[in-house]
Amino acid sequence: MKNKMQQEPVSRLIGVSKTFQGFNREARVLKDIDFAIFPGELVLLLGPSGSGKSTFLTILAGLQPPTSGEVWLFGKELQAYTQATLQELRAAKLGFIFQTFHLIDALTALENILLVMKFTHKNDKLALIRAKELLEQFGILYLIDAYPRTMSQGEKQRVAIARALANNAQLIIADEPTGSLATDQGMEIVLLLSNLAKKENRSVILTSHDQRIIPYADRVLFLQDGVLS
Amino acid sequence: MTVSGVALCVILIHFLLGIYKGVADGSVEYIRSSKTDLWIMQKHTTNILRSTSIIRNNQRGEIEELPGVAYASPLLFIIGSVNVSDGPKTAYIIGYDSEKNLGGPPSIHQGRGIQADNEIVLDRSFAAKYQLDLGDIVRIKQHKLTVVGLSSGTNMFVLQYVFVTLTEAFKIINFGGIVSCLQVKLKPGANQYQVARSIEHKVPDVVVYGQETFLKNNIEEMESGVLPMLFVIALIGSVVLTAILSLILSINVLERRKDYAVMKALGAPQDFVPKLVIIQSFVLSISGLMLGMLVFFPLMKVVEKIAPEVSVSTSIYHVIIISLGVMFISLISSLYPISKLKQIYPMEVFNEK
Repeated sequence: MKNKMQQEPVSRLIGVSKTFQGFNREARVLKDIDFAIFPGELVLLLGPSGSGKSTFLTILAGLQPPTSGEVWLFGKELQAYTQATLQELRAAKLGFIFQTFHLIDALTALENILLVMKFTHKNDKLALIRAKELLEQFGILYLIDAYPRTMSQGEKQRVAIARALANNAQLIIADEPTGSLATDQGMEIVLLLSNLAKKENRSVILTSHDQRIIPYADRVLFLQDGVLS
Repeated sequence: MTVSGVALCVILIHFLLGIYKGVADGSVEYIRSSKTDLWIMQKHTTNILRSTSIIRNNQRGEIEELPGVAYASPLLFIIGSVNVSDGPKTAYIIGYDSEKNLGGPPSIHQGRGIQADNEIVLDRSFAAKYQLDLGDIVRIKQHKLTVVGLSSGTNMFVLQYVFVTLTEAFKIINFGGIVSCLQVKLKPGANQYQVARSIEHKVPDVVVYGQETFLKNNIEEMESGVLPMLFVIALIGSVVLTAILSLILSINVLERRKDYAVMKALGAPQDFVPKLVIIQSFVLSISGLMLGMLVFFPLMKVVEKIAPEVSVSTSIYHVIIISLGVMFISLISSLYPISKLKQIYPMEVFNEK
């Protein structure tokens, strides 16, 4: 069996910098970053607010280009993708989890999960079966017809994780997934994400301020003033 | 609110088209339902709505002598005053020969047709407007006339037709030597074209039209007078509808900005969110359309009660035209909100932008 590091990385950044142009000044948010994430790996990215963690994630996911450097996603450089193929790739292979969940309020838990499967044009019947499987897997089948406004924070995050996995994402990008949760709920979510990496060979990168997550991570990186260490 | 706004615009446009159809029907129904074969008018006259025709009544005898002519029936059109309880009211008075079956009301809604000189048939909306009923007495000049019938298909919106005998009409103008036109009924098997040409050859200064041509002339005349005005108002209604829909959809896009940004981040195809906006526009429009249609018909009953001369008529054709128009407008209205979507970025859903 191959060692994780011998496998092809899911995503790789080579010498990536990101500068935002402001009025009369420019802010260099990321400075010459080299990074790779491999299948089955959970990487924890720690750093204070404003350190550039979210910018790092959006570049890793191909949502915005770097100012300089190379971004590789699933074996191809970002520039090789068109806007349309990049969107298809995000829908099919990337899963996103946000601090404030970002479920669509007008849709039920089931519909929120089905929505992302629409993006990949999955057969309706298969999509329904998959969505119910996920709700069951995360112990929230009882929320099938519930709207986000009626759910607890922990329930919302479980639905968001189910949504992120609906299309069998290989790379899960979690931006402060425990930030809005109580401590015990937060640790439950981290355990879930850890299991996804270990048992299902998915790559998970999550950002947080919370150092209690460190034991669950395969690698811990620290981002401060745009420098990764 | 949006649905109500769309419904109001639908009612407005429906109302305008309804008025147009009502005017169109009321203006030309008299000619459309005529059983005449030929219309004889003064030369260079094309219609009875907005032109004056005067011909000598004694030409009738010359015409009836021509081969193929069964008989000719005179008509006299006068824009005059009918005196009701609260004063003189203007009407389009038609004097006709009640013994011949030509030139009378297109249909009697209530009562009967004219049988004697001292009788009058009123347009039903004219009667409703001035609270006149069968058996009431009205005066034209000093002549007292009994209302014996109420007609329908005789409301031109700005004027209504009333019917008297030709003799009574002569009394109104104090002259019996002229009429406005002659209607000719042909003998069975007679060639309409040949008879028309022989009339024009024998009688100077007249023009002869077949029934279809004369109807077409009058429709064109009516449309040239009414359509431009209604078109402008309908256009304003459409622009208002477009603006309402566009504004509401734009607000909606801004309110759901986060949802759309999430969809973009999660990999929604490029046309997915614009399609959502278009669908939303269609849902709003269809709901407004249905509400507008539901309210329109009872509302028209109320309008007819308040203003009987406002004749509103509709047809399945108008319903289809309005429905297609609203669908088109809902598509146009989505364009501006869709252009706003381009300014929504998926990075907005992350903690740092």
